[in-house]
Amino acid sequence: MFGYVRPLRSELKCRDFDLYRATYCGLCRCLRRRYGPIAPMFLNFDFTFLTLLLWQPEENFTPCRGRCHANLLVKKPMCPDDPALELAADESVILAWWKLKDSAKDDGFFGGMPARSLALLLYPAYQKAAKLRPAFDETVRICLEELAALEQENCPSIDRTADTFARLLQAAAPPEESRSRVLTQLLYHLGRWIYLIDARDDLKEDRQADRYNPVAARYGPQGDDEALKLTLDHSLDFMGAAFQLGDYGCRGPILENIIYLGLPLVQRAVFDGSWAQIKKQKIWSNRQ
Amino acid sequence: MRDPYSVLGVNPNATDDEIKKAYRELARKYHPDNYQNNPLADLAEEKMKEINEAYDAITKQRAGGGSSYQQPSGGYGGGYTQQQSGYTPNSTYARVRNLINAGDLGGAERLLYEVPQKNGEWYFLSGSIAYRKGWLDEAMQNYSLAVQMEPGNMEYRQALAMMQQRGGGYRPAGSYGSSTQCDPCSAYMCFSCLTPWGGMCC
Repeated sequence: MFGYVRPLRSELKCRDFDLYRATYCGLCRCLRRRYGPIAPMFLNFDFTFLTLLLWQPEENFTPCRGRCHANLLVKKPMCPDDPALELAADESVILAWWKLKDSAKDDGFFGGMPARSLALLLYPAYQKAAKLRPAFDETVRICLEELAALEQENCPSIDRTADTFARLLQAAAPPEESRSRVLTQLLYHLGRWIYLIDARDDLKEDRQADRYNPVAARYGPQGDDEALKLTLDHSLDFMGAAFQLGDYGCRGPILENIIYLGLPLVQRAVFDGSWAQIKKQKIWSNRQ
Repeated sequence: MRDPYSVLGVNPNATDDEIKKAYRELARKYHPDNYQNNPLADLAEEKMKEINEAYDAITKQRAGGGSSYQQPSGGYGGGYTQQQSGYTPNSTYARVRNLINAGDLGGAERLLYEVPQKNGEWYFLSGSIAYRKGWLDEAMQNYSLAVQMEPGNMEYRQALAMMQQRGGGYRPAGSYGSSTQCDPCSAYMCFSCLTPWGGMCC
């Protein structure tokens, strides 16, 4: 997960923004409580989206107050503990660890140093999470192995490579639930979208480093934004269609904002190159 | 059956116009056109049935339980049927179609790969399977090949046309239509407020 899944704040109602922030802070607290002080470092917007999505539909939301991990002097509204929050926290740790392992492998011995040391730090947390969610951990491992094999053979199909990551994310949905068909479909296309948007984002870098890139393998070294946009838009449509069939209670509007506004916005930013600029900006402070 | 008012998401005191509006919005959302060839089409159909019944019940109730109720003009009857072209029932392709409709994509794929000669129909079906699986690029390529081989077939052309333009599925009303005007820079400034030290909100 790479931080591509964000809401468009200017279009959020205050109460939805509060809910989003409380979920973000609640997930941070849950990670800290379950996995110690290192785990909240890996918190991001994508995992917040996952938490919001997995939460059982509730009509109302009542935050509790908790001490902020980054600044212990401040108390903040946070979402209370919940099975969905715990599930999302466990899955976040598993995904973060495998992602680190993956980048450590990709970047060679010296380039992979930082990722490797972080993975080492996260290892105890990962072990605990993998024990709690063995099926999910297994799926992630298998899917990433498949992906690595496809990358090795320079696979020219964006569908096959994206499928591995999509299935990986799909496994994040709880299996026994009335919404599970809707959630797995939504997460499948979200995974597909994230994988391809990340590939498009890395296109230039991969070309310079002479690395495999699924978009380059399919459309040639320059890529083909027109064709890629079409297929990504279709995935977004699939996500929207699946989303409309589920019940999310008070979390519906914020999820709707992310799917219909946040993702298309990030997609445009990645295509026109402004995403790299945006990433460099200090989005955590009020300064631009 | 659930309370028809809560199905439509309206207050029991709502005016007829409000109810009609809520019904129209929901019908637009779950319209079969938005779920063509979608693996969740059956869920959408259920929803559509539910809101149709709820709207029926309310209209009847408000008309005093009389029999004068008529389907509203411009309403969505939900009379959606799967398009079927004429095929000999025993052919492998017909069986593949049935398997696709039943959602057994693995079975359909296996059966299709047993066919020695690949023609337009083969590529079209292969594209349909890919589409259902979410392999959208492959679906597009297969539909293109199908159209190339049999340019006269309207079904293939329609499928390809659907892939070449954005599906035009449902989008929520309100600000969601004009998302193209949003400015990414100001949007990302917004996250500033998630700071641990707290920025101003709204």
